[in-house]
Parts: sequence; structure tokens; C-alpha cells
Amino acid sequence: MIKNYLSLAIKNFRKQKLFSLINILGLSIGITCCLMLFLFIQNEFSYDHFHKNGKNIYRIMRVGELNGEQHEIPYVSVAYAPALINDFPDAIESAVRVMKDNNLISNNNISFNERNVFLADADFFNVFSFPLIKGDAASVLKDPNSIVLTESSAKKYFGTVDPMGKILQFNKNQALKVTGVCKDVPVNSHLQFDMVIPLEILRTTQPPEWFTNFPNNSLFTYIELKKGIDPKQLEKRFAGFMDKYLGKYYAESGHKMGLIAKPLNKIYFSSDQFDSVKHGNLKMVYIFMSIAVLILIIACINFVNLATARASDRSKEVGLRKVLGAVKKQLFGQFILESVLFATIACLISVGLLQLLMPAYNEVLGYKLPSFWTNPWFYGFMIGIIAVVGLLAGSYPALLLSSFSPIESLKGKLKIGNSGAFFRKALVVFQFGVSVLLIIGVVVVINQMKYVKNSDLGFNKEQSMIVRFDNRDIFNKGKQFKNELLTIPSVQSVSLMSGEPGGFHDSYSFEAEANPAEKFLLNTEFADLSFVKTLGLKIIAGRDLSESYGTDSLQAVLINRTAATKLGYTPEQAIGKWIKNISRDSVKRTIVGVVEDYHYVSLKTPIGPLVISPGSDNRLALIKLKSTNLKTVVENIKKVYADAAPAYPFEYSFLDERFDLLYRAEARQESVLSIFSIIAIFVACLGLFGLASYTAIKRTKEVGVRKVLGSSVQNIVLLLSKDLLKPVLLGALIAIPVGYYAMNKWLQSFAYRIEFHWWMFALAIGIAITIALLTVGIQAIKAAMANPVKSLRTE
Amino acid sequence: MIKITNLEKIYRTEEVETVALNKLSLEVKEGEFVAVMGPSGCGKSTLLNILGLLDDPDAGSFVFNGIEVAKFNERKRADLRKHNIGFVFQSFNLIDELTVFENVELPLIYTGVKSSDRKKRVEEVLDKVQIMHRRNHYPQQLSGGQQQRVAVARAVVNNPKLILADEPTGNLDSSNGNEVMQMLTDLNEQGTTIVMVTHSEHDSRYSHRIIRMLDGQTVLENIMV
Repeated sequence: MIKNYLSLAIKNFRKQKLFSLINILGLSIGITCCLMLFLFIQNEFSYDHFHKNGKNIYRIMRVGELNGEQHEIPYVSVAYAPALINDFPDAIESAVRVMKDNNLISNNNISFNERNVFLADADFFNVFSFPLIKGDAASVLKDPNSIVLTESSAKKYFGTVDPMGKILQFNKNQALKVTGVCKDVPVNSHLQFDMVIPLEILRTTQPPEWFTNFPNNSLFTYIELKKGIDPKQLEKRFAGFMDKYLGKYYAESGHKMGLIAKPLNKIYFSSDQFDSVKHGNLKMVYIFMSIAVLILIIACINFVNLATARASDRSKEVGLRKVLGAVKKQLFGQFILESVLFATIACLISVGLLQLLMPAYNEVLGYKLPSFWTNPWFYGFMIGIIAVVGLLAGSYPALLLSSFSPIESLKGKLKIGNSGAFFRKALVVFQFGVSVLLIIGVVVVINQMKYVKNSDLGFNKEQSMIVRFDNRDIFNKGKQFKNELLTIPSVQSVSLMSGEPGGFHDSYSFEAEANPAEKFLLNTEFADLSFVKTLGLKIIAGRDLSESYGTDSLQAVLINRTAATKLGYTPEQAIGKWIKNISRDSVKRTIVGVVEDYHYVSLKTPIGPLVISPGSDNRLALIKLKSTNLKTVVENIKKVYADAAPAYPFEYSFLDERFDLLYRAEARQESVLSIFSIIAIFVACLGLFGLASYTAIKRTKEVGVRKVLGSSVQNIVLLLSKDLLKPVLLGALIAIPVGYYAMNKWLQSFAYRIEFHWWMFALAIGIAITIALLTVGIQAIKAAMANPVKSLRTE
Repeated sequence: MIKITNLEKIYRTEEVETVALNKLSLEVKEGEFVAVMGPSGCGKSTLLNILGLLDDPDAGSFVFNGIEVAKFNERKRADLRKHNIGFVFQSFNLIDELTVFENVELPLIYTGVKSSDRKKRVEEVLDKVQIMHRRNHYPQQLSGGQQQRVAVARAVVNNPKLILADEPTGNLDSSNGNEVMQMLTDLNEQGTTIVMVTHSEHDSRYSHRIIRMLDGQTVLENIMV
């Protein structure tokens, strides 16, 4: 019986080539989107699940309020781990500190500035499941002068030679023996490293108090809990722990923080601007998920619509089968089987499409997904999709067809009731509602991104080169580096600073003349005296920092307008008042100038109060260039850098590009949304095209009669198009409030954002209607232009 | 074999009520060949639909093979139909997408005959109606007479006790028509009961008995000698 159904389905498929192609194409696109989404989501949710003890591993995080927002800060000082083990021996099995660092690693004359070096405790490979190919997990990091390489790093330094026991130089001054090789870190790990060195190696370079001080942001600390320990109970005891070690410090600074234990598998999806490890974006996962499901539904709707519209064509077959003894259940099964066959063909095409699209998809995602051919879940999901699509798309037409009365369907008197037509129209309303919704999304996102990129940021981001001070040589010779740069004619000015706009800015507690009893939490920028000039900031009261005042370096500060307001002053009133950084300054500093607010953080966050303080904590040089030959300037700067830090490769970036990176997630959403809305409207139009050509065929006789009676081509086009365009328009109208609500919500993630305008909705509807009109119009014109004699004769 | 008593069928739309069968009573014995004649709209087709268990009467009794079937539900009717009744239509009603062989095979599939048995049986029947050489053709590739022969083959493939024929020669020329009528006669001689609706006096002469209908009732019975 099934063979009979299958052969019939294939024959039907061949007979109705156009409709079959529309169905298969639509379903293939929908399923491809779904498969892509599945691979993405499966990978996202698999993060950090490969650790054997994963359920007992937690990361210690400080929690507290910064700039009025609650933050979770993953960095703690080196002293936490031993203190935790000491204070909670009943609950904590072990604690591993992990510090991400960049170091110069050399094998004889070959050196690389390695940016993914982990300095970690000896237990690292015991607690985490990064499998070792060579070496023993318990002992690889015992000796402070050892190093464990990943497979790729081992190849990089030693080629095919066995690296075990070989020596590498650490920052040119310490020898490390290779004691182990581990497998390359999988993509789905929030911890990403190329080599691991014992943290103990820092004993030789760091002052002893670095290992005992509590107020410090140095590294991550992971704890493995003993079996059966409830982390919530442990967290309750952390309050006493923080009091014991940091109570005094917090009392002085007036700023208090708590401590929590974050489960390992929750780290990837938690996001905080202060957390530098690899993070996922749950919001993006959900956006992906909804869009792919919507496209699949749109494709299923095409199937339902075309199948029901064509139902009367198959009524004779249904009637006959019933006469010959088929019962409803058998016919239902037959039609379901047909839709499952369609879904299967579409699914196979999708796998081919997926293989083709994978490289581009990886590009959009920004990383490489593991191959799906060896993924058993992928096959399971595919079977699931075939079943769901087969049932979803097949059941309504199957129900409708199998319920036909045999007598009427054999006589050809069958009328598919108005409810069927109504149902089809409702589905078209849904399809175009979704399409217009996506277009509204694209229009709003594009406009917001344009706004973000073209806003006046309050500083000059053009032609500004960033050179990071990421090694000790350049850090120690920063001043010399700057002075030599200024001798290059194309360099306009140079400023050494702690954080560029869009980069990291510390928060410190301040005392202020405004209210000496209160502690003010303010952002800080530690820079030299050329900061304002180099960034092109605007002084709105007082003066800029200057060499000509000999005391500026030690006793003066600038603040921004928001800081003045926070202290309770107008910009003018703030001049001459004092403030003091409780942890950093030994003397009070005088506010000598107020700068206009500038966006030192992205436009997603409101501008906070900022203190620009002369200081030597310089982590980068910002080099303002005059517009001349960029290539020569870069060459010249490279030479100057080589003088200061000869062992390190010269690396640089540009401020405008860095700032754009702050909107990476949004830019990705923009491209994903654009691509998917094009796909959605394409699939929806595919269905509309099918319905339009079907209507044209069914009404051939009517069109012929009307033409014979004198109707014009325009009249007929209008007649045929009107019915199909009404649901499109209705769908578009329904999409407006939904789109307004959804995009308003999206815009809330920006502190600075565009307003809604009526034209955004009009544009979205315009695009959808135009495309729909073209789709329907072509078919209608074709039908209207046909020779009436011919159409009447065939009747 | 068939005994109907006071059978009524009324079609209702919002405004009009049409009486298709008006207290009609009729008996058909096993092995009989009955022709039903009458003008358009007299209720012939309605009668045939009810006899074929495709439709149910509004009132009256319908005893088929000694069982009262007037109140049977769709499932029971389908079951009784597929084992006992074969149909031949004026417009052949073959499924265009299936080959000659597959069309004839269809009733056997629904009665659950095994695949190997089906092949044997279909070939037997196709041989009998002399269309075996066309077994892999599609209906469109056959002449009208050939199509009707396939339809007859399909009607008899299950060895039904009753064949209902609705103007079986209506779409055929006289020579093909005669051929089909001869086939029905042969089947009848082998014991199959046949009820045939026809407009053709010529065809009706093949039957044992002619029932003439008007306005939903039988008005005359001619016994052929």
C-alpha cells in the first residue's frame, strides 16, 4: 500500500511541477534555516559541558553596584583562593586560579608574542577536563618552570619533533620545560588558551604583597565543591568571609561588594562588560530561534495553501478511492505520507544547501561550528523536522481531502467551502504579517546603527592609532616612545592613557569638597597632559592640563560635565574645588577644568561621571596622525616601537574601528535580520505566486467570458490581484503594533537611540506590498493577456 | 439479494426540497441483470448511490444479502462495499496518475490482499478483458473502449456479488459499447448480479428486467423474454 502511495505521490509531484517546486523550494529554505539554527543553538548550549566535574565547578565573582548598575565582576585577587580553601575546608575540594596574560615565548631565535597564555594553579588539569596527550594531569604544572602546550602551539614551536622536555624562554629571561601537551581547546569552552604556565612563576617578578593583597583585580578563581555541598548555603557564608578580609578596606572606600559562586555552565551566557572571557548572547539565540521557526512556518503555510487550493483537482481521486473501499483513515494516511515525502525531499536538499552555506554561515557567526556530518543529534533533529513538517503542513489538507463525499467529488460538483478560502487568506495574513514585522525590524536596526555610527561622540575618533602597552619593555619606556613619536612629522600629537574611548575605565571611590562625608564612585582616566588635545575634547570651564603649570601632574584633575553635576556644581562652580582618589592619591587634587561630556563608553550606556587624572598608569598610546601617507607613517612608528621594545612585534589598531567593535553584536543582528527577512518575504511570495497562478488557471474561463463581453486588460488584472492583495495588506497592518512593541524593546538596550517615525512603517509596508504586487501582477497580466477564444475553447 | 422497501431520499437546500426517491420499493434477486431507465432527474442515480452504499436513505429499509444496511455508518458501509460491490461509470473514472495495472490493483489493496496474490489476480482479470498488453499504459494513452474495459476489470477484480453500472456505454461508440455490454452479460452468466442505469433502449435489451422510474418511483416493470 505504501509503495502505491509513494509512486502516486511521485507522479503527482511530476504532474504539478510548478506547485511541487514552490513547495519544495519553500520548505527547503525553511528547513535550511532551521538546521542552521539548530547547529548554532546546539553549540551555544554545549558550552563548558565537557568537563567531567563540571557540575561541582563554580567561578568566584564579586557583586556590587557600579554607576548605579548591579555588576558581577569575575576578577579577584590572588589571595582569595588560599583563603577560601583555608576558611571552607568542609565545602571546597580545590581552588584553581587562572590569569590570562600575554607573554613573549621563544624557542631559540623564534619568538611569538602569545596573547592566550594562562598562568594557572597546578590543579588546573585536574579540575578542568582538557585532555592531555602527553604528560600527567596531576604533575604537569608542579614545577614553577614548566609549560603545557596545546597541540597547535607545540607544532608552532617544534614542528614534528617531540616537544616533551624541550626548553622555551619566558619573556626572554626564564626557562620553561615542556612537561605536557594537551588537545586543542574546543570551540565550546569559555576558557580559551594556547599554553598553560604555573602561576607560581610570578613569585620571581611580582612583589610579595601581590600574593596576599585582597583589593586587586588580577585573575579568575574557580572552586570545585565537595560532593553534596549546596552552593547557596556556601554563598551565605561568603558575607562573613568578605567582612573578614575586606571589611576594613570597604569601610575606608565606602564601597562594599559581595561574593557569589557562579556555576561553570552559567558563565557563557552571563554577560557583564567587565568579564573578558568568551560569552554567548542569549538574546541573539532567541532572535535566531524565532526567525528560523517563523520562516519554517511560512514555508509550511505555502504547502497548506497550495494543497488546499488544489484540493478540488484531486477530489475525483479521493471519490474513487472511497468508492473502491478506502476509509477516511487510509486516505488521511495517504496524504500525510505525501507531505512527509515532500518534507524528506526538502530536507535532503537542505542538507546540500547547508553544506554549501556553512563557510558563509561561520563567517556571520564569527567562529567555526563543528562539522554536522558526525553529529548524531543533527540526524535526530532532521528526522524530527521531517515528522513535524510532514504533520504540520500535511494534516489540514489531508483532513480536508479525506472528508470529501464520494458522490459529489466524482460528479465534480464539489465546492470547497468558504471556510477553506477564509482559512487560506488567514494564513496569507500571517505570512505577510511576519514578513512586514521583519522588514520593520530591519528598517529600525539599520537606522539605529546609522545613528550610532554617525553621532557626535564628543571626541575625534578619526586617524587615531592605538598602540597597546602590553609588555613590560614598552610600558617602562612609554615616555621615551612618546617623545620619539613626536619627532615623526606626520604625528600630530600623542597621549598616553589608561583607557581609550570605548575601552576599559576603572571606577574609584573619591572624597570631595562638595561633601567630605560622602564617598563618590567615579570613573577614572589616568593620562598624560596631552589627553584633551589628542582626543579633541572641548573644555567648557577652566583650562586644560598643561606642562606650564609645574604642579598639574601631581595636584590637578579634569572632570566631565556629568561629574560636576554629580558633585552638585555647575561646570564653572567646580573650578578650584578639590577631590581625592581614596586608594590612589596621597594629596587632594584641584579641579582645574571641566570637559564637555564625551562618549567614553558605547552609546548603549549613558555617559557617567569621569575624572581625568594625570597619572603613570598608562596602558596605551593614542597617536593622532596628520592625513598623509599612512603606509610611511606606520613604518616610521614601527621603527620607533622596535627601538623601545625590540623583542615584541609591533601591533596597532585604529580608534574608529575599535569603537565600531562595541556594536559587534548589533551589527551581527543587523545582518542576520536582513538576510532572514529577505528569505521570509521570498518564501511568502513564493506561496503567493503559487496561489496567483492557481487562481489564474481556475478563472481562465471567467476571464475569457469577461474579455468577450468587453472587459479591458486592466480591469481583469485588478480583479485577479485584488483578492490576493487584501490579506497581504491586512497582515501588514497587524504587523505595525507588534513591530512597534518589539523594536521599542530592542531600542531600550541603547541609552541613546532614534525616535520612531511613521515612515519606517510605511516603508516596510511599501516594500512588502510592492513585492507582493509584482508577484501577483505578473500572473494576473499573463491571464488577462491570453486570447479569450483559446481559453473558451478548452473549456 | 437486494430488497428495499419504502425508501426515501430528500435533498434539501435553504429554499428548495427535492424528493429524489419517494417510498420506492424494489427487489433484485441473486443472478439477475436489471436495467433502470427513466428521464433525467427521476432518481436513477440516487438509487444507484444508495444501492452502492455510497449514500444513505432518509427513511425506509434496505436489506443487502439478508442484512439491514440502511443505518450503517460510513466505516461499515465501506467495508461491505469493498468486498461485495463493483462499480462501472459512464466516464470510466480511472485514476490518471496510475497505470492500467495499478488502477485494477487498487480494490485489492483496500481489501488487504497480499502483493503476490494481487499480481496474479490482476493479470487474470486483465487477460479476461483482453487488455493485458496495455498493462503499463496510463488511461490517457487508451481509447474510450479500452478504458471502459479497464474499468470493468477493476469492478470485477474482487469477485463482487453485485456490479452497479452507471450508463456504461454512454461515452462509447456502438461497437465498443456492444463489446462492454457483452462483457457484462458474460459476467452475469457466470453468476454476478448486475444493476445498470441506462438511457439506451438498445443496452437495456441485454437485461432480464427493465425498471422504469419517474419522480422517484418505479412506474413500470418490463420482463424481457
